[in-house]
Amino acid sequence: MGWIKTQWTSEEADQWTKEDYIVFVISPLVYFLLGIGVALSLLLIWYGWVILGASLVLLVLMIKIIDPKLKAISHDYEIKQKKYLEELERIERWEE
Amino acid sequence: MVVFSFLDWFWVVAFILLMIVCGALFYRLGKRSMADFFLAGRGLPWWLPATSVYATHSATDTPMWISGVIYKHGLRGIWYTFFSAWCAISAFASTRIFRRSLAYTQAEWQTLRFSGLGAELLRGWIAGWQVFMNMFVLGWVGIAMGKVCNYLFGWPEWLGLILFSSLCATYVLAAGFWGVVMADFQQGVIAFSIIVIVSIFGISMAGGPQQIISKIDSLGQSWRLNPFAFTGLTSGEFPLVWFLTMLVIAVIGGFGMGTSIDWYPEAQRIQSAKTVRDASYSIWAGSALIVVRNSLWAVAILAFFSMFPHIQETAKYEMAWYRLGFEFLPVGLVGFFFAAIVAIHISTISTHLNLGASYATRDLYHHYFKPKASDKELVWVGRISTLILLLGSFIYGLMMQEITQWLIFALWIMAAGIWLPSILQVVWWRFNAWGYLSSWIANLGLSWLIVWILPEFHLIPVLPDYLQFWIMMALGALIYLPITFLTRPEDMDRLVKYYVMSRPLGWWKPVRQEAERRGLLHTGGDREGGK
Repeated sequence: MGWIKTQWTSEEADQWTKEDYIVFVISPLVYFLLGIGVALSLLLIWYGWVILGASLVLLVLMIKIIDPKLKAISHDYEIKQKKYLEELERIERWEE
Repeated sequence: MVVFSFLDWFWVVAFILLMIVCGALFYRLGKRSMADFFLAGRGLPWWLPATSVYATHSATDTPMWISGVIYKHGLRGIWYTFFSAWCAISAFASTRIFRRSLAYTQAEWQTLRFSGLGAELLRGWIAGWQVFMNMFVLGWVGIAMGKVCNYLFGWPEWLGLILFSSLCATYVLAAGFWGVVMADFQQGVIAFSIIVIVSIFGISMAGGPQQIISKIDSLGQSWRLNPFAFTGLTSGEFPLVWFLTMLVIAVIGGFGMGTSIDWYPEAQRIQSAKTVRDASYSIWAGSALIVVRNSLWAVAILAFFSMFPHIQETAKYEMAWYRLGFEFLPVGLVGFFFAAIVAIHISTISTHLNLGASYATRDLYHHYFKPKASDKELVWVGRISTLILLLGSFIYGLMMQEITQWLIFALWIMAAGIWLPSILQVVWWRFNAWGYLSSWIANLGLSWLIVWILPEFHLIPVLPDYLQFWIMMALGALIYLPITFLTRPEDMDRLVKYYVMSRPLGWWKPVRQEAERRGLLHTGGDREGGK
């Protein structure tokens, strides 16, 4: 999966990139296939298993694509969060 | 009426004690601060809010509703339950943006995204509306439990409503969101287990999958097994256009905040997650569980249909899943089933008690009445608000029969006309508070006109719901877009601060450039997200 970026700097991870857009397509598709796949598989209809399998493959793919980026975003953001929270409380108390 | 054995009662009492004690154990954590009482200290790993999302959206009336649509429409009825798919995109778009804003509530977010009087009006409106909505949902779900207890034990409906909501309130009052989320975890596990058990029992009682299929075929209704059995492009009771509209509403709605009524409890769970990543996964996984649950229910209801195919009354076939459990589970397991129903019920009750109280405390009391209040005082205000919500829900629950129709209408209009503005406020920098506020007001007027008044006077025909949605969206835009352009953009200082903190998706180029000019952002790297 050379076309998917796995090493992110915090500044790169803050941008909306192709990895996000790919996940925007895959993620609803996983729900869609999961819903039908579980129902048809329980009825022992053979293509239900195929659909369910496809949804699980897409789920793994989705996590592989987005997880490195989410980790980078989270790591960077946690560093700033305390300052942001203090600022939020100042707004709440009409001090800003 | 169902007769319980000693073992059945044992399960019921043991589980109720477990749920309440499990929640109340977190009393010390819940009272530490407002952030603890309403967001569990913002430190939860993804799987806790995920099970809470799942448990919250499994209420006592949910299996009745799903039984109704599957019994009536067959497997294609599963799409009526697909609205939860808004989380598919939201988990990686609006969830990320909202988590970074750190707002306690959606109402608070309005004053971070917008500025001035418009933002404050929006915050006050959304907070007040959410207090009302949570009280209403508590009444609605509470009376559903009253009906289940009436069906099972012959109790008067008020008893089931008051008894279980009050039991649940004990740990919500004590431990706030800590109690909610910890109890939700074990309630979610119990609820999912029983859904699997009852579904498998139902399928086997109907003779197994092959027998279900052959019975439905022999009735000449094999379309019931096809999830895509449309009745035409625009005609019939399941047109393709309805399906496509539902997909658009659900999936594209994930770019916005507040496009679904479920956004509000989810927003609380998003902020309770310890990182952005945990927030994303919690929302995604919680909704994935809901999708799987709906499918399990759907097949169980098909099994029920194959055994009882000629029920005409909606109220009777809506009890299909409950009937599978109470009529087919062996002695001993029936008590477990009822305990799981209690779990399903109080997980929803606890969420709405705490969520409604968070809007009353954070957005109304703290922000408007006493900005300098201490954390200790705010926790107590949270508890008093919880109690008021509980008492209000009893009144709503007992008058629900009369007002349900009006309130379902209210729920629908809240979703239809503000769907697009709820996306625009996230993705478009120029959309301002006055535009969003006017969309709410316009929606209120337009929905009355299009859904009730004009058809009543025969000025327009009664339109199908998918058409109502598109018409209200278009007419609403004719009002809020001119208002947006005729009023000033939001204050650039506020927009820059919001942009740097939240990094929203969409059309934010002027704001991003200003942030770069001020040295708040690095200018290197790719710029795929900015337009």
